[in-house]
Amino acid sequence: MKKLSQVIKPGFLLSMPYMAHLTLFFIYPVVFSLILVFHRWDVVTPMEFVGLKNFIRVFSDEVFMQSIINTGVFLVLHIPLQIMVALFFANLLNQKIIARGFFRTLYFLPVVVSGVVVTILFQQLFNYDTGLLNQFLYKLGLGQVPWLVSENWAMPSIAFMATWKNVGLYVILFMGGLQSIPTELYEAAELEGASSTQRFYYITLPMLNPTIVTVIVLSVIGGFSLFIEPYVMTGGGPMNSTLSAVLYIYNQAFNFGHMGYASTMGLFFAVIIFTVVKIQRKFVETEVY
Amino acid sequence: MNCNNVNEGVNEREEGNKTITYWSSPNPQEFALAKQLVDEWNELGHEVKVKLQALPAGQSSEEVLLSAMVAGTTPDICSNIWPGITNDFIRAKGLLALDLFDDYDLVMGERVPEDILESVKAKDGHTYQIPWKTNPIMVQYNTKMFRDAGVTEFPKTYSGFLDAASKITKDNDGDGRIDQWMGYRDIRPIWWQRYYDYYTSYINASGGKTFFDKGELAIDVDASNKVFKFYQQIYEGGYFPQSTLQGNAFLYSRIAVEFTGPWNISFLEKNAPEDLEYDFAPLPVPDDYEGEIYTYGDHKNIAIFSNTKYPEESWEFVKFLISKEADYRLLEFASQIPIRKELLTDPDFAEFFKQNLSLARFARQAAFTRGVDSVRDFKEILDSVSRYYEKASVYGKMTPDEATHDMIEAIEILREWNK
Repeated sequence: MKKLSQVIKPGFLLSMPYMAHLTLFFIYPVVFSLILVFHRWDVVTPMEFVGLKNFIRVFSDEVFMQSIINTGVFLVLHIPLQIMVALFFANLLNQKIIARGFFRTLYFLPVVVSGVVVTILFQQLFNYDTGLLNQFLYKLGLGQVPWLVSENWAMPSIAFMATWKNVGLYVILFMGGLQSIPTELYEAAELEGASSTQRFYYITLPMLNPTIVTVIVLSVIGGFSLFIEPYVMTGGGPMNSTLSAVLYIYNQAFNFGHMGYASTMGLFFAVIIFTVVKIQRKFVETEVY
Repeated sequence: MNCNNVNEGVNEREEGNKTITYWSSPNPQEFALAKQLVDEWNELGHEVKVKLQALPAGQSSEEVLLSAMVAGTTPDICSNIWPGITNDFIRAKGLLALDLFDDYDLVMGERVPEDILESVKAKDGHTYQIPWKTNPIMVQYNTKMFRDAGVTEFPKTYSGFLDAASKITKDNDGDGRIDQWMGYRDIRPIWWQRYYDYYTSYINASGGKTFFDKGELAIDVDASNKVFKFYQQIYEGGYFPQSTLQGNAFLYSRIAVEFTGPWNISFLEKNAPEDLEYDFAPLPVPDDYEGEIYTYGDHKNIAIFSNTKYPEESWEFVKFLISKEADYRLLEFASQIPIRKELLTDPDFAEFFKQNLSLARFARQAAFTRGVDSVRDFKEILDSVSRYYEKASVYGKMTPDEATHDMIEAIEILREWNK
């Protein structure tokens, strides 16, 4: 029989790469940022202890509060839109249609295109004066929409773009979910005289609940990390209306050298995300069949 | 020179390939010039060779240099140092004190005007950067578009500018949408974008003041109000579009003016269509303004980083970069103005300026420029300016008076936090 040490040693050695990765890219950054919240540090000069100053600032920083609200607005706009559009196309692509494989690839294409490229493309599409969308609307006599230059329109425009970019991924997830629903259920419902709408509401939707939960969780995580779109398209404007929490934290850390303050905002933001995810799990997952 | 004074703890020299790395601006003309100079230096048979690299891409050079400093990957020499960032580098002991080189006084005394040299001295009395070039911001304008609109002379005042703008901004193809504007500025609230609109106009309207006086915030309220109002009128009138214009709108006569520096001269000479007629003029001033016309001078300096293994050789190369011959080529190839004593009257440059009237205008304006205040929070201050500029001028959501008042208050708060 092998000695305990003989079993532990290879196990320890085998887990070393993961432990190293975990320490370097998770434990160390988290511990370091927890130290930073009590300090002022501009990266190039030594740290200076400031006590709770960064925490006091977080609660009095109106711009940070607005950036949190903006992120919330983005989530509220983006997640339902994402689910509805993805579900619609997944249903469509799940039918026996011509060139189904081609369309599936086509819908997935934006997911693999660089975020910056998509953002620049949409910046031009949404251009108020010269953009294709406004040219089209103007020709139809509908006037021009201030897509990115109005407080009211900028965030919905970004949410629309983010949906276009990511919907392919969720279409794939929903299609997987749709294909796992037993056909007997539909057959039985059909025999009972259920209409297609009834079949969708009483079979498809409940059976897709686990997938919907996954999509919501992934969308929430993606939505909280909103950065590239406002960074490239609007710089956080007009009037801070697209300034996401991550963009504001990035600016404070890397443009202005307030690493301590940025870490404090990061911690505060992490608490918000944790709370939202907890609430979400409580309300959504209970409905999973 | 006494190397110990300059860089204590300099590493032992590596045997074999001895190289110093030089980061130049990625601007194509400036990079081409840097390549020429580096090639020449390397052909001269110096023991230590120079390796040229364009400053890596980033939203700003300062962001890139700070990251490099943290990562310990700074070059030996960089010629794209914004004076506003040097305090951070000095506090981090990242730069060499150049005045400790034996021939520093001789070299600098010959080249740089005394007041400018004094202005780059650090608090500890040492000098860590060489004032290399200045790019005064002026107005580049399409003379034909002005002529076609019935404006024969570039307007000197705000009201003249707005009047010309109302004539130039129009719908050319008759589809009911504006397709020709007076000018264009990036309206995104990005701090450094304000150098080319609010900040340069503020220096201009205040008669050459910056935001601080002897380290204390001293914003000229009247000048700031006038500047906010001027841009507010521009955007209210639709003379500048609020959206991003694709490509170079000036080259294709979609805009009539651009606020720019002399670097654009060589760009236009290479890329402008044959029928593009253009000239340069000082920025318009408030209607009641009297006196010399000041502007923002985009100063870029040279510094040697303290991690260099070859301080003496780096200094020798820096002297080569700021020699009279190199300065001549800085004008000739990169269309940028070297910070050199009596540049306009120096016989070695006189003929050049006779042949290059546009650059001569910038060289004249260079005497009336102001840079940035050497304060720790300057980027963040410009970020605040950006937010009020956007709110008051671009979107007209607050009056110029409110914008100046709230902006000063916001700057005071952020300075208090950063104390």
